[in-house]
Amino acid sequence: MHATIQKPIKEIVKHIRPGEKVFVVGCNNCAWKCYSGGEAETEMMAQRLERRGIKVAGYTVPGPQGMSLCKLEHTRKVLMEDHAEEVKKADSFLILGCGQGVHTVIDATDGGMVHPGCDTVFGGETVSDTHIEEYCSLCGDCIIEYTGGLCPMTLCAKQLLNGPCGGAEDGHCEVDPNRPCGWILIYERLKKLNRLDLLDAYQPPKKNSKWSRPRTLEVSPTEATFCYIGGKVTVNNQD
Amino acid sequence: MKLSTLFNHDKFVITGEVGPIKGAIHRDKSIEPSCAIEALQLHQHVHAVNVTDNQSAVMRLGSLASSVRLKTNGVEPVYQLTCRDRNRLALQSDLLTAYSLGIDNVLLLTGDHIQLGDHKEAKPVFDLDSVQLIEMAQGLKRGYDISGNRIENYIDMSFGAVVNPNSDPLELQLMKMKKKIDAGAQFFQTQAVYDVRVFEKFINKVEKHNIPIQVGVVILKSPQMGKFMNKNISGIHVPDEWIEEIGSVDKEDRKKKAAEMTGTFIRKVKSMIQGVHIMPLGWTDIVPDILEHAEISKQD
Repeated sequence: MHATIQKPIKEIVKHIRPGEKVFVVGCNNCAWKCYSGGEAETEMMAQRLERRGIKVAGYTVPGPQGMSLCKLEHTRKVLMEDHAEEVKKADSFLILGCGQGVHTVIDATDGGMVHPGCDTVFGGETVSDTHIEEYCSLCGDCIIEYTGGLCPMTLCAKQLLNGPCGGAEDGHCEVDPNRPCGWILIYERLKKLNRLDLLDAYQPPKKNSKWSRPRTLEVSPTEATFCYIGGKVTVNNQD
Repeated sequence: MKLSTLFNHDKFVITGEVGPIKGAIHRDKSIEPSCAIEALQLHQHVHAVNVTDNQSAVMRLGSLASSVRLKTNGVEPVYQLTCRDRNRLALQSDLLTAYSLGIDNVLLLTGDHIQLGDHKEAKPVFDLDSVQLIEMAQGLKRGYDISGNRIENYIDMSFGAVVNPNSDPLELQLMKMKKKIDAGAQFFQTQAVYDVRVFEKFINKVEKHNIPIQVGVVILKSPQMGKFMNKNISGIHVPDEWIEEIGSVDKEDRKKKAAEMTGTFIRKVKSMIQGVHIMPLGWTDIVPDILEHAEISKQD
């Protein structure tokens, strides 16, 4: 999921021009889980804007809970058909969702003016209803086969691939004593699995081209193609 | 002079360390930066002097410019190169530049994180880790860049690496040390150690590699410094006995005491190692005393 946090209301309001009519769009998947753009937060945002003298043309959260705003065709139908009248009156859209959601609204509204209502902070695991943790950096060049599924690109502050630096103290990272050293987590896990041998392999330098932006993924039931700057990878899902 | 040559001749290798200044070298060549002055003070007593690379992620004069200044002054530098601020292009280019400017020794490290320094909003690079950096440097020595392209005039430098005997779990640190050896590290300088037992335990585990190791020592200047290091410097532990001992004498006697304590520690561990790396943190003037207490001297 894409973890998001609402921007402070003062910052949101600052970018809305006098007289500008705003349509508020939430996301019923990731932003709902983050309490940053679910149904309740979207309705409340409309009220918070109105309280500050901003005209709100309407608001919606496309789809049922679990439906992502970034599902373009669905969002287009909701905005351009179900809310056609309100959308017509709107000068801009305030999106309570991640950066992908913001772009989905641009596409769905054929280039409408947008205001991001959230900062997209990371891709995370919803550990509990109130706690989200980052375990993947979306680098496109996964090495967690060698680390028991724990990602050093994410859990190590220096993104080291061949083991820890010398700075860990009592199992904690030198950068932030409140968080564990990612490499000690990897070590402890592999030790428990009796697979410390996995750590012996030299990990070559990262293929950073796979982390270049923007990237695309073409998918079908039989194969997928991941395209990045300077290359692409096609994988058959069936053989 | 490459340190690896000294090790090969069974010399007990003594190195010191200086940190480049926060600023540029004066255009007036008669004005030496403090790091060069400290290095000159060390010169008679050590084989080489490490020059740190934006140490603690604090922006300073470049390690390479400072290393070249030392070399010009007749002091053998160990050019420190970290992964924090450079991608693989810059790292290779800097290695080629260092060799071209006459540098013989380079210490290849990860580097402290940006968050520990004075430019906290800078982008941490870490394109390579220290193992990959050594592997890449070894490629340049063999005539290839990291992409496999041939290069002219291979670099012929001695590659050093670091290891922390204080690390817990030690096994994880040893795993990485082994990777560094396999990648091409020719000698090791350790993180500062104060406990003979900790160092002995480490040495017993790494003797099998048969690679030169210099024990790292940071001069403990005061009890406050010991407490500060224990609280703020990860990966170093100053035992209470050290803090009490340096605190047992008046301030004016601390240099003498520090020399005695540091020298005694080195004397206790010297039979296990092939050299010592002394980090004086400005107290370069007591290095001769330290060596005297350690009962060692620079062998040419």
